[in-house]
Amino acid sequence: MVTRRDFIKAGLLTVAGMTIPISALEIFKPEALASLVESFSKKKRWAFVVDTTKCVGCGMCAKACKLENEIPFEAEVQRTWVERYIQTKDGEVIIDSPRGARYGFTSNDPYGKELKDEEVAKEFFVPKLCNQCEKPSCVQVCPAGATYKMEDGVVLVDRSWCIGCGYCVTNCPYFARFFNPVTNTADKCTFCYHRITKGKQTACIDACAFGVRKIGYLHDPNSEVFKIVSTQRVAVLKPEYGNEPHVFYIGLDHIVK
Amino acid sequence: MKMSHAWRPVIVILGAVIFLLILRTIYVPADFTAKNGDYKYQWHRTGNEKYWQDYPAKHMGQEFCGTCHADKVEKISASGHQKVECESCHALPEKAAKKHPVDLKEDFKYLLEIGVDSTRELCKRCHAKLPYRPAEYAGAKGTVKFKMIDPKTHNAGIECVTCHDVHSAGFK
Ligand code: SF4
Ligand code: SF4
Repeated sequence: MVTRRDFIKAGLLTVAGMTIPISALEIFKPEALASLVESFSKKKRWAFVVDTTKCVGCGMCAKACKLENEIPFEAEVQRTWVERYIQTKDGEVIIDSPRGARYGFTSNDPYGKELKDEEVAKEFFVPKLCNQCEKPSCVQVCPAGATYKMEDGVVLVDRSWCIGCGYCVTNCPYFARFFNPVTNTADKCTFCYHRITKGKQTACIDACAFGVRKIGYLHDPNSEVFKIVSTQRVAVLKPEYGNEPHVFYIGLDHIVK
Repeated sequence: MKMSHAWRPVIVILGAVIFLLILRTIYVPADFTAKNGDYKYQWHRTGNEKYWQDYPAKHMGQEFCGTCHADKVEKISASGHQKVECESCHALPEKAAKKHPVDLKEDFKYLLEIGVDSTRELCKRCHAKLPYRPAEYAGAKGTVKFKMIDPKTHNAGIECVTCHDVHSAGFK
């Protein structure tokens, strides 16, 4: 026999169970189903090109980014940084990025150890930033819906909605995320969203005197980014993670991690 | 007439439904949606897009500085430093930067601290000899030889600007 207590219990459980996923039924809308198969950012999709062969490691990009985006200058966090890769003749790979390169590289002394030219097999700089992935794992793991992708491909963080759980920080395979010590929320490069949507270049592009960095629409035949990506040999970082990064590198080496 | 006892649990359950719906409406902001029907990557408060679009731009470049210092910008455009932005040397991270004679913040809505960074360290960012710095650069006037010095032997201890004019990228 069903007692009244059982009836209420079962009723409340059903209600609780139903209220949550009712909104999820929306997923059967045709456009929603389509979004699972094909991504929507086909036409106007921001992408970035980094020509590592031109970078001199001056770090003016990292400095400009800090000032532009109000990331406290002395804090050990940055939206864009420059890494130095050194392979010595005995096969050792040394990677460093002192203070994110915001003061540039001024001598060949990774971790304080002076290197002689004859010890070195190859050396170069690799600037890094958030890849504004097509399938951003940082968005997938955010339990609050505080980090999201715009239809033009840029991934943003909602500072007033972020609960600070840090899942995105640990799930970005590119270490592009950090905690902003001022806002106490997750932070990352936004491709200077406030500038590119007004027709300006990002601060790092402006500050780079060597033309290392470029931004543009990926499928726009007039953009330099499109021309480079469609005619030259470019590579992305860690393609094996399946994030489909949209920062394309010219001159990437196999020792780059 | 007395209400049938069977109605009472039904009312409790209906009450719970209403309570949950109200809670949900209060807790989830009205603009929290999956835009374009993208359920994988687009759940967000659409109002936040405006926050990022309206974020103030600070780095202004030669064009902005040139509105007052046209002579300087002209000079630098004709030099090897043509692509170096004013802010690379004049925007300072310290809050207590030297004051610009005109109040840039009030009058021009310019937001960075301005002064002069004339330290050796700044010039070394590009000109300290490193074996992996490209030795030549393609500029507007053709290939520019990229000048690099060994900071240990090249007039150690003196500021570069003692002898060099940064704006013409030559000697004083
Ligand atoms: S690089 Fe990292 S932070 Fe940027 S979109 Fe991809 S997963 Fe997210
Ligand atoms: S400003 Fe340009 S050259 Fe200098 S470190 Fe950044 S990307 Fe490299």
